[in-house]
Amino acid sequence: MPRSAILGLGDYLPRLVDCGGVSRPVEDPPPGTSVLGLHASRAALESARMSPDDVDFIVFATINPDVTFPGAACYLQDKLGCGTVGSLDVRAQCTGFLCALMVADQFVRNGQYQSVLAVGAELHSVWVDYSEKGIALARLFGDGAGAAIIGPANGDSGILATVLHMDGSRHRQFWCEYPASRQHPTRITKENVRAGKHFPQMDVDDVRSFGLRALPEVVREAAAKADTSLDGVDRFLLSHVLPDVAEATAVDLGVAGRHTNSSAHVGHLGAASLPLTLTQEVRAGRLGPGSTVCLAAAGAGYSWGAAIVRL
Amino acid sequence: MPNSRILGIGRCVPDNVVTNDDMTRWMDTSDEWIQQRTGIRERRFVDRDCGATDLGVVAAREALGRAGVAAEELDLILFATLSPDIEMPSCACLLQEKLGVAGMLAFDIRNQCSGFLYGLSVADNFIRSGTARRVLLVGGEIHSSGIDLSTRGREVAVIFGDGAAAVVLGPSEVEGRGILSTHLHAEGKFAEKLWLEGPDTRHRPRLTEAMLDADIPTVFPRMEGRYVFRHAVTRFPEVIREALDANHLTLEDLSLLIPHQANLRISQMVASSLDLPDSKVFNNIDRYGNTTACSIPLALYEALDAGRVKDGDLLCLAAFGAGFTWASALLRW
Repeated sequence: MPRSAILGLGDYLPRLVDCGGVSRPVEDPPPGTSVLGLHASRAALESARMSPDDVDFIVFATINPDVTFPGAACYLQDKLGCGTVGSLDVRAQCTGFLCALMVADQFVRNGQYQSVLAVGAELHSVWVDYSEKGIALARLFGDGAGAAIIGPANGDSGILATVLHMDGSRHRQFWCEYPASRQHPTRITKENVRAGKHFPQMDVDDVRSFGLRALPEVVREAAAKADTSLDGVDRFLLSHVLPDVAEATAVDLGVAGRHTNSSAHVGHLGAASLPLTLTQEVRAGRLGPGSTVCLAAAGAGYSWGAAIVRL
Repeated sequence: MPNSRILGIGRCVPDNVVTNDDMTRWMDTSDEWIQQRTGIRERRFVDRDCGATDLGVVAAREALGRAGVAAEELDLILFATLSPDIEMPSCACLLQEKLGVAGMLAFDIRNQCSGFLYGLSVADNFIRSGTARRVLLVGGEIHSSGIDLSTRGREVAVIFGDGAAAVVLGPSEVEGRGILSTHLHAEGKFAEKLWLEGPDTRHRPRLTEAMLDADIPTVFPRMEGRYVFRHAVTRFPEVIREALDANHLTLEDLSLLIPHQANLRISQMVASSLDLPDSKVFNNIDRYGNTTACSIPLALYEALDAGRVKDGDLLCLAAFGAGFTWASALLRW
């Protein structure tokens, strides 16, 4: 079966503003998540030397879509001008982009689609609690988008391995409860809002200890699946809501100095963090054609996953 | 490359039946008005705290049992919904916990009325590529906690019902049997003809008490029925023909069409425009209303139970709805 590859990359990072003493990208006024995805998608198409007409499927990963339904992919499809191509929204939290990449990979390898636009974008800033009560968590997050065009591989390039796991038994450690369709008779009430239950909640210690175990483990698993040693990987892009987890992972793996911590400077961008970081690394010249890169993330769900990609 | 096929199917609908007359307790409407416009006689509403995955897990267990597959064997869990139990993480994660399994990939498909068919296409592609051997796909919705059960919201509220249904998929051992092809479309231009705005990422913050107090709260779904109807009766036949054409088959070859149960009047108009007799179209919206991502597997379950599907039959599953999104799948049973 032929491999698929990343044919183009793009990103979008809003202007940095002060959030509780740290600089974070915040899109203001908030235009809807698909607009961030649109900027990244246009850049990805340009880098792949493609037009919107060439896209035959869209996969959009986010936890903050433009509206509750329909999905952000539908909004993006209209804004980008991609005819009536299928437009899928996936929810896989912090590993959302890896999920979109994996979905795109299957469709391309099977020959169902030739050019899939995989987007990860978040508008966290309208969702987190900037009050005194919530700022410690809110300041971890930022807004942004990243996009990749996935198509049949040429030569040595390709998506060499993807692995992705979930463990729902610990979903309460990092979650956002409301609106909740399970609440009878009304899924969101003023009491829920007053109690701040529409904001994300996180058990920092548990999320950290999970990440410290899962992130190195899944990088090793992906490398083994790609039949490569860690030495065969040029760069490790590590995404976790807590920046110290990515640093510790790099040390654990013995790859410190060959890693990029996606949340170190801009905060956690959720599904946007890996494609945005990858685009930035290519732009900075640290990665280029022929480079082998590992993309890895762990977070809410719990979710953890990694991909090994040769550019 | 093997086709994938449905190995087992299950369903779970709430016990609580809500008739059209019952709806008149909350709003100015009538049994005659609802039936005339939608063909719906009754729907099921949960009557206590209950999420899409609470129904979904019952449907999933039945599907796994019928398929002879243990939950531990699953490589992938997909949950299609527009009414998740909670905001984050996904229903697929919550379902994992309820099934008592962990580790396999699990994520949500958020494609409204076409969600089941988008999920079926994703499942099919994971199986055909060899990435997954056992996939659980659930469509589940709790609409009753999210609709405006008052005269203000009646146009939308009378249509929707709660329910869940599930299929287990795996590679087909017999060449030419199973899912022959899937076809996915969308037209985001019409996103706001059938939508639920809030919470959204166009307001900062995305949700306030004032939003819940508004004259037309954004947290209830809204619809321009005329638009939806007009596009549905065009896109349904189009995507059904697309599936047949792709497989060099014709409407004469088709054994049964199972359309997404959006509105009986839409299904009837689609059938008549394709010249399909009643015997070749399965509808059960009269008893469940529109259960969005659940409607196709729920109808397939009942079609199988009623003996309407036999080995070797050619089935077409087709959907149209919010997005707009539309899709079809052709299956050789």
